[in-house]
Amino acid sequence: MDWFWPEGFYALLMVGSFAFGAFALKLPIAIALGAAAAVGALAGGEGFPLRHFVEGTFGYLDTILIIATAMVFMKTVQKTGLLESLAAWVIRKFRRTPLMLTMGLMLIIMIPGMITGSSTAAVLTTGALVAPVFIRLGVPVLKTAAAIALGAIYGMIAPPVNVPVMIIGGGIDMPYVGFAWPLLVCTVPLAIFAGLILIYPSLRKGARNEEELEAQLQKMEEATLSFRLLLPIFVLVILMAGEQFFPGTWPPLGLPVNFLLAALSALFTGRPLNFLAASREAVNDAIPVLGILMGVGMFIQIMTLIGVQGFIVVSVLALPAWLMYLGMATSIPLFGAVSAFGAASVLGVPFLLALLGRNEIMVASALSLLAGLGDLMPPTALAGIFAAQVVGEENYFKVLKYCLIPAIVTAVWAVVVILNSNLIMSYLP
Amino acid sequence: MKTEIRGTHFTALLLLVLALGVSALAGMNFMSMWKDDLFLPAPGFEKHMLSEWHGGLKNTPADVPVFIQQGEEPGGTVFIMGGTHPTEPASATTATLFLERAKVTRGRLIVITQVNAMGFTHNSPQEAHPQHLTFTTADGSTRTFRYGSRLTNPIYEWPSPDIYIHPASGQQLPGKERGNLNRCYPGVPNGSLTEQLAFALTEMIRKEKVDLAFDLHEASPEYPVVNAIVAHERSMELAAMTAMDLEFSGIPIRLEPSPKNLRGLTHREWGDYTETMPILMETGNPVQGRFRGKTDERLAMTGVDKAYVKAAALGYLYIPYDGSQPMEYRVGRHTAAILSFLDNLELFDESKAVKVENIPSFDDIQEKGVGYFLTPAKL
Repeated sequence: MDWFWPEGFYALLMVGSFAFGAFALKLPIAIALGAAAAVGALAGGEGFPLRHFVEGTFGYLDTILIIATAMVFMKTVQKTGLLESLAAWVIRKFRRTPLMLTMGLMLIIMIPGMITGSSTAAVLTTGALVAPVFIRLGVPVLKTAAAIALGAIYGMIAPPVNVPVMIIGGGIDMPYVGFAWPLLVCTVPLAIFAGLILIYPSLRKGARNEEELEAQLQKMEEATLSFRLLLPIFVLVILMAGEQFFPGTWPPLGLPVNFLLAALSALFTGRPLNFLAASREAVNDAIPVLGILMGVGMFIQIMTLIGVQGFIVVSVLALPAWLMYLGMATSIPLFGAVSAFGAASVLGVPFLLALLGRNEIMVASALSLLAGLGDLMPPTALAGIFAAQVVGEENYFKVLKYCLIPAIVTAVWAVVVILNSNLIMSYLP
Repeated sequence: MKTEIRGTHFTALLLLVLALGVSALAGMNFMSMWKDDLFLPAPGFEKHMLSEWHGGLKNTPADVPVFIQQGEEPGGTVFIMGGTHPTEPASATTATLFLERAKVTRGRLIVITQVNAMGFTHNSPQEAHPQHLTFTTADGSTRTFRYGSRLTNPIYEWPSPDIYIHPASGQQLPGKERGNLNRCYPGVPNGSLTEQLAFALTEMIRKEKVDLAFDLHEASPEYPVVNAIVAHERSMELAAMTAMDLEFSGIPIRLEPSPKNLRGLTHREWGDYTETMPILMETGNPVQGRFRGKTDERLAMTGVDKAYVKAAALGYLYIPYDGSQPMEYRVGRHTAAILSFLDNLELFDESKAVKVENIPSFDDIQEKGVGYFLTPAKL
């Protein structure tokens, strides 16, 4: 009881307040999170700490800007007809080789995440590009969204850029060196698995009605695929790659500016585009998630302020050794419900410290994979919710159902990698 | 008549006014951190500004006071740097203790108390750290210092790059680490403000021919490099002598070699880019750890935390933790270690000796508290 009281009670109270607000009172998730934070602060004897509420939200300022601008980018390329036109081209070119198409498109989904370290960037760029391809070729909408969400997460974890592992490594001053192979071990088998169970079976069946498909393709090709139409993609690739590969000479604009510049370049594609209307629509779509992030920021800040964070971390570490692996496979993704990066920092670092003695690079890589899974976890579920939006599905929980098996396999794979970290590393170059 | 609330202009206006009010109140609170702390240097210190060694810092928030005291006898030069990470308060407090008490009789002492002043003007989001720490001085008055963030305030570094690539090595770090002074060395003359700050410090050490340079830190108790000295190859012999002295005095301390592949830190780059002997020291500070419970000024000052008691019982800590880790102990460790280094510096190379008097011993600090040795502020 000494250990549980009062922090354990505060934890239950905050989670209970959130659930009550969100499900009983039907408040928007963001408001329910903010209200739960207020209840926690009051119970913890902190009154109404305005400074802490506002300060907590700033933890997601960059993420919010990335999401808002990435949404603007996605909307503009959608409005110019690029998404549909490109999808039609890919379908015509590769639909007779479904396995290659599956693997190729999974890789394409992953690439922006690999370059930027952001699953949201992957979902809202190449995820949005490949979604129409999958759907037109007969992949069910929900499976398409699940594949995009998972591919984006594996891209976020795959090398060369993996922010969660940098955060975890930073906790023990481990330089971000030598992670390429371990991160590939963590992600590539899972990306193949996800593609094979979610996408490949539908693609192998092929289109049921060739004539209908041809009619659809012709409709999708209304905007001719040309260099001008592809301009926003080229601009984005150049801006992202320039920052990554020419540091020092390339101005560090950051993802939000990159997205905005690429979106603005859509004005030069020669297609009709009301940029302001598209931007308004994009931000309107994004606002619920942006609000959730702000609510989560308040929630974490108050959890930390009143001691709930330490209670959770030490309670998980206090589990018996055999349960600890189960604990990390569940607690890190669950904490990712508030933020994958937060999970990496709050739980990833202590778990890495608890596992010192195993190969730290391999262990940190696997822990980052678990942290990445947090991007599937509601209420934030950045990768999942945006993947649902990309395919036009309003209820993310329907998508989550299809993510479950790959997510469980991912968690199990992470634990297997941790348990065999030394062995695996001995086989890597 | 039913009154519409959702989606009306009135509601929008009301929410806008509310948001502005919240922003204004929070903004005033955040801006209260912009006010500089008061430091009262001991007689003999001359105040300089860091921009004297790198003009690029002039009239920027990165330009910080550098206090120099020259002893009567010639000797070496020692530099004590506090406040690299404002979340590690024993660092700036130890430097302040030397600034406010030191009487240098031989050689030269250089002190910077809050080297990354840009980190003291804000707190890290979601860390819920206190904004200020208060010490009670010998006459019962109080001295208050800010407790800031590990990183430079984003208003000077924003937007962060997606990935921070350390210019001298190509090492990759999360983008926000560009605001971490102790990842930016040796610095860049025309880089970001934090990179320029690092460059100015490296220049100062080089031009002033600093023989021994301290970068004071604190670490969370679960971090392996804690209660430790981290030494560059050039400093290792001196550090080993000091570590032994401290162990004999009942102050357990680890001695860690500076990793060659961990770039951007003082113990590596000051050693590689200047002639100084760099020393980085860490004490154990629960308020910056991941296991910590209720986060407030009390925790920062006392280190009393039941979550750390449990973590210690589980064997997850790298310090002996008996339920507290008070500021007196942490500042006492740093102070005792610096004094021991100064004694050994004379044995190591007599021409480089620096003698400093009037600094309280480890036991004095434990007994009377840190505030007792700070100069009371005249109201």
